[in-house]
Amino acid sequence: MSVLAAPPRPRTWPRTVAVLVVLALITAATVTPAIGGIRIDLGTIARHWHFGWTKVQQMFDPDLSILPRTWKPLLETLEIAVVGAAASALLALPLSLWAARPTNPTWGRSAVRAVLNAVRAVPDLVYATVLVAMVGVGALPGVLTLVLFDLGVVVKLVSEAIDSADARYLEAGLAAGGTQAQANRMMAVPQTWPAYASQVLYSLELNVRISSVLGLVGAGGIGRLIDEVRGFYRYGALGVIIVEILVVVVLIEVASNVLRKRLR
Amino acid sequence: MSATPSVSSPEAALAASGPWPVRLDDVSVRYPDGTVALRNVTLAVEPGEMVAVVGLSGSGKSTLVRTVNGLVPATSGRVQVGPHDVGALRGRRLRELRGGVGMIFQAFNLADRASVYQNVLVGRFAHTPTWRTLLGLAGHDDREIVLAALDSVGMLEKVWGRAGALSGGQKQRVAIARALSQRPRVMLADEPVASLDPPTAHSVMADLARINAEQGLTVLVNLHLMDLARQYTTRMIGLRAGELVYDGPAASADDAVFEEIYGRPLQVRDRLGSAG
Repeated sequence: MSVLAAPPRPRTWPRTVAVLVVLALITAATVTPAIGGIRIDLGTIARHWHFGWTKVQQMFDPDLSILPRTWKPLLETLEIAVVGAAASALLALPLSLWAARPTNPTWGRSAVRAVLNAVRAVPDLVYATVLVAMVGVGALPGVLTLVLFDLGVVVKLVSEAIDSADARYLEAGLAAGGTQAQANRMMAVPQTWPAYASQVLYSLELNVRISSVLGLVGAGGIGRLIDEVRGFYRYGALGVIIVEILVVVVLIEVASNVLRKRLR
Repeated sequence: MSATPSVSSPEAALAASGPWPVRLDDVSVRYPDGTVALRNVTLAVEPGEMVAVVGLSGSGKSTLVRTVNGLVPATSGRVQVGPHDVGALRGRRLRELRGGVGMIFQAFNLADRASVYQNVLVGRFAHTPTWRTLLGLAGHDDREIVLAALDSVGMLEKVWGRAGALSGGQKQRVAIARALSQRPRVMLADEPVASLDPPTAHSVMADLARINAEQGLTVLVNLHLMDLARQYTTRMIGLRAGELVYDGPAASADDAVFEEIYGRPLQVRDRLGSAG
């Protein structure tokens, strides 16, 4: 057996330790009120946990009388989610191609990306609040909110998938005398389809969850009912609604997973 | 482009209107990162000639063929392809030139998830308005041309299959059909057999030679293997570090010539070996 003369292993631990110390210091600073950090008083949990506990107990004592009133808003929530995902899917396909380098080598790509970064920077409840003020209470502001939210998610993920995939086929399209639009339509769309369809399904899953709370600010769906029963301290009814939403979310995720497997 | 004549037979569907000459006059290419890929290359290829461009990887072969269809613009010098001055072309006129120049690639460059039919239809891009492609409308003539091109490389029965499901040799044949459906005047091939096993490599090279002989197309094929160049082409261009170091008959290029082109003694891997 020979002893191999391997080069010395580079020392990485001082760097790791330094990074961890910095992270720990930043975290400590954020919870130190004296220097502008937030006040986190874990003692309140110990002092007040029984208040929360009675509410949880009430939730586990279901008030089924709310059930008949939940069907319509629950259906509305689902409809908002589906319409929002479908409308954003239509817009997301061309936008994803315009936001990726292989499918759009011009400066226009940066413009599309900048707009979408701005769209993504706004939280969904802020969109809903503003849109309710602009177009009125109901399902429409909910749908618009989800379209904006989904565009941000789907276009980002799909355009990054295009960026990271091997796009040599596009060179053949251009070499044959095609325009970028022709090559995108005939070659990039089929190549990108699985990533695109998968992200659209994911946006549908997110939508069902988000549209459940959009009603809190008047944007339609079951959220309005949640706000109402909470206002009347009907925790038994709230528990029933939460279970219903849970069932719907799980069903949508199962369906979406089954569909996604068929994309491979 | 003038109106496409109606197609009566597969041969007529692929008939090109006459090969183009290719002339490079003192062409240099410097990439934005500072790499000089071609240095003052002057070259004249006659219509209908089949020319091998030989050199090691990094010698500038890929850059050379890409200056012919404008995929890589020449930094200085002049590239003349048929009636076109490549450096002066933009937009629609550049696409017209590219429509007349077919190209096949080492990695085949097919859209694997699209059908073979769709991939070959790409060859009709230059003859199709963008809006028709966007709406997915292919004309009857385009369809006939695509089927004839697939038939001419023996891939007609795979027409509705997915391109990604084919073997390497089949993929390169589909890529050749894609180039043929352009009804090109010039055919460029960038290391067309470097990703194929030896028997398949020979049959793809034979396809290229047959296209050159039957249709009289001007063919420029990049190769790094000396025996393929000798066997399938009539004339050979040698490139080393971006400079033209040999231009002469392929058959009479002996080992000394190849050592000069490669800039080193010959090795076993410089030859492919015979089929089978």
